[in-house]
Amino acid sequence: MTTATDVTASELREILATLTGRDELLAIPAGTPLFGGAVALDSLTGTLLLREIQRRFGVDVAAEDLNLDALATLGTLAEFVAARRGQAG
Amino acid sequence: MAAHPASPVPAQPAWLRPSRPGWPGPAQPAPPGLVLPAPPMVDLWWFDARAEVVRPADAAVMDAGERRRARALLSALDQHRFQVAHVLLRRVLAGYLAAAPGDLRFGRQRCPRCGRRLGRPVLLPGPGPAPFFSLAHSGDLVLIAVAARPVGADLEQDRAGCVCPVAGVLHPADAAALARLAEPDRHRAVIGCWVRAEAVLKCTGEGIGHGLSSLRVGLASGSTGRNRRVRGCSVRGLAAPPGYQAAVALAGPDAVTSRPMAALPGPG
Repeated sequence: MTTATDVTASELREILATLTGRDELLAIPAGTPLFGGAVALDSLTGTLLLREIQRRFGVDVAAEDLNLDALATLGTLAEFVAARRGQAG
Repeated sequence: MAAHPASPVPAQPAWLRPSRPGWPGPAQPAPPGLVLPAPPMVDLWWFDARAEVVRPADAAVMDAGERRRARALLSALDQHRFQVAHVLLRRVLAGYLAAAPGDLRFGRQRCPRCGRRLGRPVLLPGPGPAPFFSLAHSGDLVLIAVAARPVGADLEQDRAGCVCPVAGVLHPADAAALARLAEPDRHRAVIGCWVRAEAVLKCTGEGIGHGLSSLRVGLASGSTGRNRRVRGCSVRGLAAPPGYQAAVALAGPDAVTSRPMAALPGPG
């Protein structure tokens, strides 16, 4: 069964691939670290990712998760966003 | 690629490249000779990853954590760029310490805002005073800043897409000034503000998770702009190769100056 988190993870993969121009990010597993691991996002791209999440899903990750623990992996970010998307409006 | 615009710029010392004569080998100390610049001077080392070859013996100077991070990267190109940045960081610092690159040990200071060990990377105590350093890499380029005081450097390659959303995380006065610019000038100005703000954060050791909105770095006039005092640092944009922007920040009240230590070799 496809969960809301799975759907959000797929959307986040598409955002990541668009921001970085790296199509291989369309296939990364949910447990993939976003910073310092396979994806190795730099801080500027990470900021663009968070701004796009806020624009598209209405979730301000930086404001709601001050330690940014949600950014550990694709899966933790998808879970965080899926639980909050749509709540703002 | 065009040569770095600043001049005169010395060629890379032969000992930085093990494949050239003069290097005593990755396990042996680098020849002595590099002296830390007196503040507010910062030494800037520029490299082009396309011109660098990292053989297995060269990569062996990295520690287990660096090797693990390199292996985790998805593409061979990203792995190469990471190895170039971290092997050359070790060689450069070894040149100031007359130490073997593989003997250097790195740690992280605590973030001065939250106390988490996510602050500035530092050399762990050795026999002599450790130089302060900052490593930045983006696209094909690597920038290493070395100084006698805490230093931060940032380097960003221009992006193909729109970066205007980033303005929303910058200082409100800077964001307002950026909003008055037309594209594509605004895109370049956004990246310019970003590298100056990042250089300040890397200098103070604050994690980027604490945000950039309290750092008013201003829009640069001309290619690099003037010195600004931000959060106890002096920050300034740098003349960077086409397609890139860079900045350096130095702790302390006096205006930061810099000297390029190696000419970009360009693609081999």
